[in-house]
Amino acid sequence: MAQLLTARSLAIRVLLCLAVLAVVMGLCTLVGSQKVSLEKVFAGPGRSPGENVDYEILIGIRLPRVVLAALVGAALASSGVVLQAILRNPLADPYILGISSGAGLGVITAVLTGISWTFWGGSALSAFAFAGAIITVWLVWLIGRAAGKSQVTSLLLAGVVINAFFSAIIMFLTSIARSDQVYSTIFWLMGNITEKDISALGVSAGCILAGIIGLFSVSYRLNILSLGEQEAKSLGVDTAKTRVTAFALAAFITATAVSLSGLVGFVGLVVPHGVRLVAGPDHRQLLPISAIIGGAFLVATDTLARIIVAPAQLPVGVITAIAGGPFFLVLLARYSRKISWLK
Amino acid sequence: MSIIQVKNLSFAYTLQSPILKDVSFDVKAGTFFAIAGPNGAGKTTLLNLLCGLLRPQAGSITIDTTRIESYSVRKLAQKVAVVRQEFVPVFDFTVAEVVSMARTPYLGTFGFDGKIDKEAVNEALEATDTAQFAMRPMKNLSGGERQRVFIARALAQNTTIMLLDEPTSFLDLKHQVHIYDLLKAAQLEKGRTIVAITHDINLAAQYCDQILLLTGSPQDAFRRKPPMQGPENGTQNRPTYLIGEAKDIFSPAQIEEVFGVKVFAGKIGKENFFIPLGKFAKDSGQASIS
Repeated sequence: MAQLLTARSLAIRVLLCLAVLAVVMGLCTLVGSQKVSLEKVFAGPGRSPGENVDYEILIGIRLPRVVLAALVGAALASSGVVLQAILRNPLADPYILGISSGAGLGVITAVLTGISWTFWGGSALSAFAFAGAIITVWLVWLIGRAAGKSQVTSLLLAGVVINAFFSAIIMFLTSIARSDQVYSTIFWLMGNITEKDISALGVSAGCILAGIIGLFSVSYRLNILSLGEQEAKSLGVDTAKTRVTAFALAAFITATAVSLSGLVGFVGLVVPHGVRLVAGPDHRQLLPISAIIGGAFLVATDTLARIIVAPAQLPVGVITAIAGGPFFLVLLARYSRKISWLK
Repeated sequence: MSIIQVKNLSFAYTLQSPILKDVSFDVKAGTFFAIAGPNGAGKTTLLNLLCGLLRPQAGSITIDTTRIESYSVRKLAQKVAVVRQEFVPVFDFTVAEVVSMARTPYLGTFGFDGKIDKEAVNEALEATDTAQFAMRPMKNLSGGERQRVFIARALAQNTTIMLLDEPTSFLDLKHQVHIYDLLKAAQLEKGRTIVAITHDINLAAQYCDQILLLTGSPQDAFRRKPPMQGPENGTQNRPTYLIGEAKDIFSPAQIEEVFGVKVFAGKIGKENFFIPLGKFAKDSGQASIS
């Protein structure tokens, strides 16, 4: 009898991974530049602010940040899984479709124009990043569709070209901007998880979790879609509908993540690959497990970013890129070999 | 009963002269139907029309009494399974995973297979002798093994019609025969209708009930009176296709004219067989139309 994935075995694996995530989040909440006594934390909040500092650090500052990191990691990893399947390219990542440069352009526009209103507890920076990302993805989609029938290749090309074009504009704007403005932009471009307002966190958490559940409902069709257009159609998958749904949801959760944390690189590339190596390519399993492991990975790397140069902090994108860069090169070598076999 | 009815079908790719012109034929339910013809004669185009991937510019295709364009992608996939030329999936799926994808047109929202789906998959794995390597990744298989996996997938899809595009093109003799035996078994034991594109006219003659011979583009030399049905091409007085049983379609003269190559012809029982002989072949001098 052939062993196939069942809903039950998937549920068990997902619960196991959630337990790992919970442990990682718990441990990372306890680590930091300030020593925190758990005993005091359990005593609950003091009657007046400042009475129980340990509680405020742990529950008020570190926990939201850890939750934020988990959300961003989950969003980027699941978006990576989905885009690799749609583009049938194992080297695709959530930023390949212009999301990064679009969001970057949004942020630098907000910085340079000095807009500083807030929106659902998020800053103008977040709102502009989100808008920039969504508009750019939409643009890439339109160009890709106009460019030709083999939509997959033209999408990739449109993404690469728009990315290059917008990056040039970002560089141009940063070089004419004042140095204090440049500083916050650059930190943002490197990926930076900072404490966020709890209501902003709530809204984003809702968006990201809903997006991931939506993607899970198309995940088995992604298996089929990864075989190619013709194969997918003869197996009864409405390719156009599936591709638009998956693409829109992936873009949406990536834009949400980017608006929270800036450009955190490599999570969307490295995590899906790592999980695929261990758990296989079945997207019904790959998607939820990548989301959870992506969350745990970013929580851990963000904790490193907090403590390596404590009390100062590194942008988390620096850590993920340092860990992810070499991994990417190994993958590249591996896959180019495979591609040369195929001619 | 005809399960596939093709009426006055014409198709042209954009800005090209029509590749299929006014083609009409029926495929009876439960038969093994071969599509043969030289390269570029429109065999794969016809297959893509039959599975709904392309839409004809003129004429109609009816699958099981319903016009093909009335089917949703999902409903059509419950009627027609397609085996294309074997390939390696981008991601490293196992054999069992690939075969279980056949059940897609029957699955619910989250895509988990039920008992019937698992039985269909296991039965297909057994029938194609692929169960032994069900857990191996696709890329570790030989070409013949991979082709059997794709046929297993088509079987598990549990459709009345199976379309195959040159299922034996890269296989050695033993595997070619093995694939044809598998298909014949699916036809005889399960009542499937098999429509296969093939370059192997000898195997087609041995296994198939009906042959559709697409005769290729008008530039090719072919100046005979049309022996069967099929509209004539105005200027050169030639049919664009021939249809019938192997013994009627595959005459030595016909083969030489359609494929433009000298053949040695012999007989096994009632069926002709042919060996192509090129200019420099050892026995090319003795080749004759017997």
